[in-house]
Amino acid sequence: MFEIQRSINGTIQMLGRLDASQVEKAEDVFDQIVESCVVDFAELKYISSAGLGLIFATHKRLVDGGGALTLINLNPHIREVFEITGFHHIFELS
Amino acid sequence: MTATSRGFRREFASLEEVFAFLEDFTEVEEVGDREAFCINLVVEELFTNMVRHNEGGGESIAVTIGRVDDYVHLELVDFDVSPFDPSSAAKVSVTAGLAERNPGGLGLHIVKTMVDELTYDYDDENRRMRISVTKRLER
Repeated sequence: MFEIQRSINGTIQMLGRLDASQVEKAEDVFDQIVESCVVDFAELKYISSAGLGLIFATHKRLVDGGGALTLINLNPHIREVFEITGFHHIFELS
Repeated sequence: MTATSRGFRREFASLEEVFAFLEDFTEVEEVGDREAFCINLVVEELFTNMVRHNEGGGESIAVTIGRVDDYVHLELVDFDVSPFDPSSAAKVSVTAGLAERNPGGLGLHIVKTMVDELTYDYDDENRRMRISVTKRLER
C-alpha cells in the first residue's frame, strides 16, 4: 500500500511502501513540483531504488532551476539506504 | 534448512505478493526489522531487474527463501532468458556530486552492499538464470 499527497503548506507526505509497482503514482505528484519542496517520510516504511530514482531525478531538476528537495523524518532503515547509495551527501536530510 | 519457494508472475504488480510471501517467512523465523527490510529490498531489486531486463522470459520468476542457523538464503530463478551476471554490473560512484550522478545501477549496488554473498549461474541448455544471495542475521 502506498499513498502520497501534498498538504496545504506544500509539503509532500508519503505513506506506506514506495516500491517499483507504486512509483508511477508518486511520479504523478513529483512531476508537478516546480519549486523547492519538503518531502515528509514520517509514514513511509520502505523505499527501493525505483523510488530513490524518482526523488533523485526530481531533486536534480529542481537544483538546475535553483531549488531543491528537503527530506525529513526518514526512518533508520530508509536512512541507511540513503547512506548506502551516497544520497545522504546529495540531499538535505533532517 | 527450512526453505519455501513460490513462482510469481513476471510483472511489477507481483511485488505485493512477493512481499507477503517474504513476510510470512520473516515472521515465522522472527527475523529482525532491519534484516526483514533488507530482505524485501534485495528481493525487489533482483526481481524487478529480471522483469525489466529479461524481456521474453518465462511467465514466472521463482523465489526461494530459507534459513540455516544465522543465515538467510535467497534464490531467484528466471527461465528462458539470456545470461546477465549482476555481479559484473558497473560500479556506482556513491561519492560523486549531484551533477555527476545518475540513478542508474542503484538497485544492484544496494543488493551487493546489503548481502554477504551473491552468486550467479546460468544454465545454457535450459536458458535458466539463478541468482543466490546470503544474508547474515544479527543476533
